[in-house]
Amino acid sequence: MIWIAILGSAVATYLTRSLPLAVTLGRRLPPAATRYLEALPVAIIAALVGPAVVAPVGALTHGAEPVAAAFVIAAVAWRRSLLAGVIVGVVAVALLRLV
Amino acid sequence: MGEGWPVMGTVLLVGTTFGVVARQSGLEPLEIVAMSLLVFAGASQFAMVQLFSQAAPTPVVIVSVLFINLRHLLMATSLRPQLQRLPLGWRLFAAFFLTDESFAMATGHFRRGGRSLAYYFTFAIALFVLWNVATVVGVVVGGAIGDPRRFGVDFAITATFIGIVVLAIRHRVDIVIALVAALVAGVLALAGASTIAVITAGAVAPLIAVVVRR
Repeated sequence: MIWIAILGSAVATYLTRSLPLAVTLGRRLPPAATRYLEALPVAIIAALVGPAVVAPVGALTHGAEPVAAAFVIAAVAWRRSLLAGVIVGVVAVALLRLV
Repeated sequence: MGEGWPVMGTVLLVGTTFGVVARQSGLEPLEIVAMSLLVFAGASQFAMVQLFSQAAPTPVVIVSVLFINLRHLLMATSLRPQLQRLPLGWRLFAAFFLTDESFAMATGHFRRGGRSLAYYFTFAIALFVLWNVATVVGVVVGGAIGDPRRFGVDFAITATFIGIVVLAIRHRVDIVIALVAALVAGVLALAGASTIAVITAGAVAPLIAVVVRR
């Protein structure tokens, strides 16, 4: 099943990359559709964060993940670095789970 | 090409992180390498790892990846005028290597008046090679670390997502969209609807961008 998901995801991804270069779309997208598409990636990735922070192992968190998430937001906003966020997040959650 | 080094360094780091996180989640090395070779899309690959670990149904994984990558339609459309002079076969080849990074670099190059398509191909393919080398390094490292939860390594993927979102914020409405998406998905997951939580929240929250003009 994992292999079908990988191959399916590969095909889906390639289609999004190649379609505009392979075929000519007659009309431009309406502005509302463009705004929707532009907002989509951030929304999906944020949606992945929600469950991992609120219900990390399927049940309500004991608090370590939301606090660590706040640290990650602060670290990335301050340093503008993904790596800084990952390091701060991993260390914070490891320490907070000990509490 | 000199200005590409920070991007290449980031790709190496994120690719290695992906390999580590994917290996820690229990995926087989061959599956992880295949994802980087065939899908070749950072955020999607992290999302796939997360969805696999939640035992999400295959269609949910594929549709989630499709949604995350719909933005490629906009980027490819924007590159059309420059790539149009290539034959179809070359355009389809160029498309495979289209990423946020190669798009950003190529757009910068064209905006500065550059005409060379070699710039795009060199940079985009270099990123592909780096991403895959980094993935293999991460897989090896990830296999050597013990229980992920003990060191908080399982949180690395979540921290990566949070970082991607924070760095992608351009307008105040982006913050609202991200918070709504995260909250709706979190509530749905708590309510037991974890298989559809991400797709539903991810598809609904951008409607805010349609209603609210920046």
